Amino acid sequence: MNRRRLIRMLGIMAFVVFLFFVPVLFDNVYWVSILIITAINALLATSLRTISIVGHFSLGHVGFMLLGAYSSALLVLKLGISFWAAFMMAGLLSALVAVVLGYPFLKVKGIYFAILTLLTAESFRLTAWNWRSLTGGSLGLMNIPSPSPISIPAVGIVTFDSESSFYYLTIFIVLLSLLALYRLEHSHFNFNWRAIRETDVLAQSVGMNVLWLKILNFAIACFFAGIAGALFAHYQRGLSADASSRFGVLTSIYLLVYMVVGGENRFAGPIIGALLITIASELSRSLAQYQPMMIGAIAIITVFLFPEGIIGLPGRLIHWYRYKKNGMSA
Amino acid sequence: MPLVEIHRLSKFFGGLAAVTELNLDVMQGEILGLIGPNGAGKTTVLNMVGGTIFPSRGKIIFNGEDITNFPPYRRAQRGIARVFQENLLFGNFTALENIRLGFHLHSRMGFAEKLFNRQSTRNKEKVWLGKAFQMLEYVGLVEHTATAAINLPHGKQRLLGLAIALATQPQLLLLDEPVSGMNAEEVEGMVALIKMLREKRGITCVVVEHNMRAVMGLCDRIAVLNFGEKIAEGLPRTIVESKAVVEAYLGTE
Repeated sequence: MNRRRLIRMLGIMAFVVFLFFVPVLFDNVYWVSILIITAINALLATSLRTISIVGHFSLGHVGFMLLGAYSSALLVLKLGISFWAAFMMAGLLSALVAVVLGYPFLKVKGIYFAILTLLTAESFRLTAWNWRSLTGGSLGLMNIPSPSPISIPAVGIVTFDSESSFYYLTIFIVLLSLLALYRLEHSHFNFNWRAIRETDVLAQSVGMNVLWLKILNFAIACFFAGIAGALFAHYQRGLSADASSRFGVLTSIYLLVYMVVGGENRFAGPIIGALLITIASELSRSLAQYQPMMIGAIAIITVFLFPEGIIGLPGRLIHWYRYKKNGMSA
Repeated sequence: MPLVEIHRLSKFFGGLAAVTELNLDVMQGEILGLIGPNGAGKTTVLNMVGGTIFPSRGKIIFNGEDITNFPPYRRAQRGIARVFQENLLFGNFTALENIRLGFHLHSRMGFAEKLFNRQSTRNKEKVWLGKAFQMLEYVGLVEHTATAAINLPHGKQRLLGLAIALATQPQLLLLDEPVSGMNAEEVEGMVALIKMLREKRGITCVVVEHNMRAVMGLCDRIAVLNFGEKIAEGLPRTIVESKAVVEAYLGTE
C-alpha cells in the first residue's frame, strides 16, 4: 500500500517537473498555448467536481468563469487596479455571487439545480453581451493587459507578456489552486459533504447545517472558477460573450464531460479528462464542426465501457491481468 | 412541566388534512406511543416535531421554547433526535463512520481545524472514533464496525439508525416504527434497548408503531390518531378497551 503511494507521489512530481520544462523542451508557442488552456480547463473541471461531492451537478459553471474573467478584466481596464489584486477580487466576487445564488438554488436538487445554474450562466452571458457601455457588447472587450511585471528576489523583474512566462504563471496558479482543492478533499468538511450526498435528511437530523455546508462548497468551487476565468481573460487579452464563445452553454457541458470521462470519483479524474480531451480536440481542429459530436461520442463510450472513467482503467487492467494469470481463483 | 407541548397542530397537503387541531403533551421521561390506522397522520406528527416538514398551523413547544419554525439541525442542537421509518443511513459509510457523523454536534471543530487535517485534529478524531466504537458496543454492532451501512441486514440497520440518533445525545427520541420488519427476537431486543435508554439515560421517547405487542410492552401512555385527529389518549390498558379505538381499527358494527 505504501509503495503504491510512493509511486503515485513520484508520478505526480515527475509530471509537475515535466510541466515546468515544457517551454524549454518544446520551443513551440502553439503547444504552450494549448497547455495554458488545458490547465485552465483542468482547474474548471476540478472545481466542478468539488460541487459534485455534495451531490449537485452544475450546468452553469462557465457562468462563474465569465464572472471572474469580466470582473478581472474590467477592474484592470476601467479602474486601473493591478492584475494581482484584480484576479483575487475576481475569484472573491464569483464566490460572493455563488453565496447569494446558492442560498435559494441549493435548496433544490438534481435536475432543478442543473437547470437553475444553466439559466444563470446564460443570463450572465447575455448581460455581458448586451451591456454595451461596460463590456463593449458584441464588439467585446479588447486590449486587456497582461499581468503587470513583478520583481522576485534573486530572479529579478519578471514580465508576463510572452507566451512561456504566462505559461509558468498559469501552471503556478493552477497547481496552487489544485493543491488547495486537494487539501479540502482531505479535510473534515469533505466528510460532511459526502455524508450530505448520501442523505441530506439524516445529515440535518444529526445537526448538520446542510444548507450552509452546501453554500460553502459552492462558493469555494465558484471561487476557483472565477480564478480560472481571470487567467483566461488576461491570457486571451480580449473577451467576447458570443453564444459560440468560450462562455456558451457548450463549455459547461464540456466541463461535465471532462469530469465524467476522466473519472468523477477521484481527484485526478477531471484533470486527466481535461488534459486528454482538450489535446484531442486541438489535434482534430480541422474537423472543428464535428467536435461536439466527437466529444459526445467519447463521453458515451466512456460511460458504457468504463463507468469509473479513464482513471479507473489501470486498476481494471491490473485486475484483468491477474485474473488471466491466476485463472478463476483471482 | 411537559417536555413537548403540541398546541393545535394542523397540517394540510393541498386539500387533504393530514393532521387537524392536535393537542398533545409529552411528559419528561415517558415513553409515549402514537398509534392509529394507516394514513392517520402519525408520521406527519413525528415529521413536524423533528422538523422535516413544517406545520400549516399550530405550535410546538420544546423545553419551554417555541421550535415551530426551527430547521431540523437546530432542533437537533436542542436535543431532538430522529430514527426514520425507512432505514435512512449514510449508506456508503461504515457503521463506525455513521456513528461518527452522529457525533457531529458534539465534536464541534473550528473552521481551521476542519480545513487543515493537522496532528491535533487527527488526535481529536481518534477520540471521537473511540466514542463511536463504544456506541457500537452499546447497541451490539461491534462485529460490523467496518461494514458499509448499506450492506447490513435490516435489523442491524434499524439498530444503527438508533445508534446514530443516540450519538447526538438527545433528550427526546422520535422513533418511527422501530421494530417494523424485525423477527420476534429482534423485537424483544429493541424493546429492551429503548426501555434501557429511558432508565439509564432518561431519554424521553415518542414511538410510532404498528406492532401492538411491542407498543403494549413499551409505552407508558398511548395516544390514538385517526384521520389526523386524536381519538383517545391514556394508559395502554384503557386504550385497548376503548370503544372508539376498536371502531377506528375494525370499523363500526
